[in-house]
Amino acid sequence: MNSSRPLASAATPSRPPAARFRRQTRSRLLRADLLTVIAWASVSSAVALWLADGGAAGFATPAGSFTALGIVAGLAGMDLVLLMLLLVARTPLIDGAVGHDRALEFHRKLGKPSLYLLLAHGILVAIGYGMAEGLDPVSELVALWDLVPDMWLAIVSIGLFIAVVVTSVVTVRRRLPYEFWYAVHLLTYAAVLTAIPHQFSVGGLFAEGTWQRWYWLAICIATGAALAHYRVLEPAVATARHRLTVSRVVTEAPGVVSVEMTGRHLDELAGNGGRFFIWRFLAPGSWWHPHPFSLSAEPVLFDSSGRGRLRITVRNLGRGSAQLARLRPGTRVAIEGPYGLFSTAARSRDRVVMIGAGIGITPIRALLERTPFEPGKATVLLRGHSEADLYLRDEILELCRRRGATLFHLTGPRTAGEHSWLPEAAVHSGHRLASYAPDIAGSDVYVCGPDAWARSVITAARAAGARDEQLHYERFDW
Amino acid sequence: VRIRAAVSAALASAGILLAGWQSGAHVAETGNTAATSAAASSGTASGSSSGTGGSNIYGPSGSTGSSGTAGSTGAAAQAGTFAGTAVPTRFGTVQVQITVQAGAITDVTALQLTDNDRKSVQISNRAAPLLRAAVIKAQSAQVQTISGATVTSAAYLTSLQGALDAANR
Repeated sequence: MNSSRPLASAATPSRPPAARFRRQTRSRLLRADLLTVIAWASVSSAVALWLADGGAAGFATPAGSFTALGIVAGLAGMDLVLLMLLLVARTPLIDGAVGHDRALEFHRKLGKPSLYLLLAHGILVAIGYGMAEGLDPVSELVALWDLVPDMWLAIVSIGLFIAVVVTSVVTVRRRLPYEFWYAVHLLTYAAVLTAIPHQFSVGGLFAEGTWQRWYWLAICIATGAALAHYRVLEPAVATARHRLTVSRVVTEAPGVVSVEMTGRHLDELAGNGGRFFIWRFLAPGSWWHPHPFSLSAEPVLFDSSGRGRLRITVRNLGRGSAQLARLRPGTRVAIEGPYGLFSTAARSRDRVVMIGAGIGITPIRALLERTPFEPGKATVLLRGHSEADLYLRDEILELCRRRGATLFHLTGPRTAGEHSWLPEAAVHSGHRLASYAPDIAGSDVYVCGPDAWARSVITAARAAGARDEQLHYERFDW
Repeated sequence: VRIRAAVSAALASAGILLAGWQSGAHVAETGNTAATSAAASSGTASGSSSGTGGSNIYGPSGSTGSSGTAGSTGAAAQAGTFAGTAVPTRFGTVQVQITVQAGAITDVTALQLTDNDRKSVQISNRAAPLLRAAVIKAQSAQVQTISGATVTSAAYLTSLQGALDAANR
């Protein structure tokens, strides 16, 4: 079945500033580039610290060469570890420039290189020191553990790093439970903390009185402060300030519920429709389980005091989500966020195409409510097996009618064989993305849905001429 | 956009590395002289441990002779100066020279001390006067190692034992 319902009616004549979006995108891309440059510069700075200390003189002897390479590997490795921590610190600077999921992607990409560098550091230094003393690397490690203060901590640290990276890789492949992965990841903090003492007490580069020591201290403390501030302090403040409590749980479709929460100062969260928060429902048995869900509507304010209502719409996907259907009104809610770039902050054009599938429709619904566009310059495509899978479809129809957006319902079974984002019937009729959104090359494209489906949409959008800065796709993972 | 980021990142990195390398070339020259002067001055430093502030838990350990022969300068020791063996460590080579008069160690001079990096030089500068004073007091290589300078102390005392062996030969 493929039913399409183009709708258009004039309303809300707020003029969307195309120039503003262009400027906003230029500045966002500039910030992303700057962050890239800073990241690389920090790695080369770590090596430059050592060069500036005359470290290259170590290459005069074979033993010195091993030690020198080992020190460089250690400096670069630690720098990458700090970058990884910053990428998951959820700083507004990084989140606003590249988005939460891209930050996590970089974080994952750095995992193995930093582990290899740290391993190389340990092995090369053991060989270099060993050669200087006429010991084999293993005896040298034993001697270091025994004789040199803080070295045993460093050796423990490398073991922890190995454990963290190995379990992360295995978790991703085998899909181990999130809780297990989370517990192991907490070990990262132990690994980093145990690695730090030897850098300052044994590392000659960071001896007392050197400027290198101050630089290294500064970046370590800055990273720790960013983590503490954005991952602990801000969520605690937001939770206390908004005082969210569950007010109602509404069943939208079989297995799909909307959770409505009331709270204070919700005017401050306006404009975040489509972005996600990490929710913790403070009830016995579920308070420790973090749920990353997007708002499925803009905050609704009751009066001018800022008191109002938030809503998320969730499908029963895992053990944790299943509990949400049984949430009792009055349950307190802790929040972290909002995060991500699935919002007006990512707009680059005055036209917009929003494409959602399954439960991925819900952030599209929230975005549609507030993101600026002139009547006729927005298109909404909803994909599901049947009309019943197009969650919140009545609300979306109403919003499209009010704001003058074109709406298509794309329902029916998917194609056999090669995966297409369109239903089989539409593919057979020769429909493509441009059939529904002819201006796709000049539009922002927001995509939310299952991974493989979303990739297929992105490919279609690229083929139709949309550039990277126009494609907005956020995955839901940690 | 990607290209712009990559090019600027490469340029910035190259610039930073070049600056580091340039200033490193200076340090290498001055660093070498600093290390040698540190080794020399530690030899002539006064025997008192005041001013260094380090944990001076030195003194004769008495028990467990780690080297079986010639724990101290006996009457047989000849007068003169004797260089000890050069002991390589991961932080640099250590070698000491002793001055023996009338069968007693009257001075210990460090010919080389751990000086691979600034931290090692710092540790050497702190440990050498303490070790020298302890050795002259104990008249043997049987003194406790300086905490925080374990590697330097061990090498220092090994080299010292070599010098004592030479004096007793």
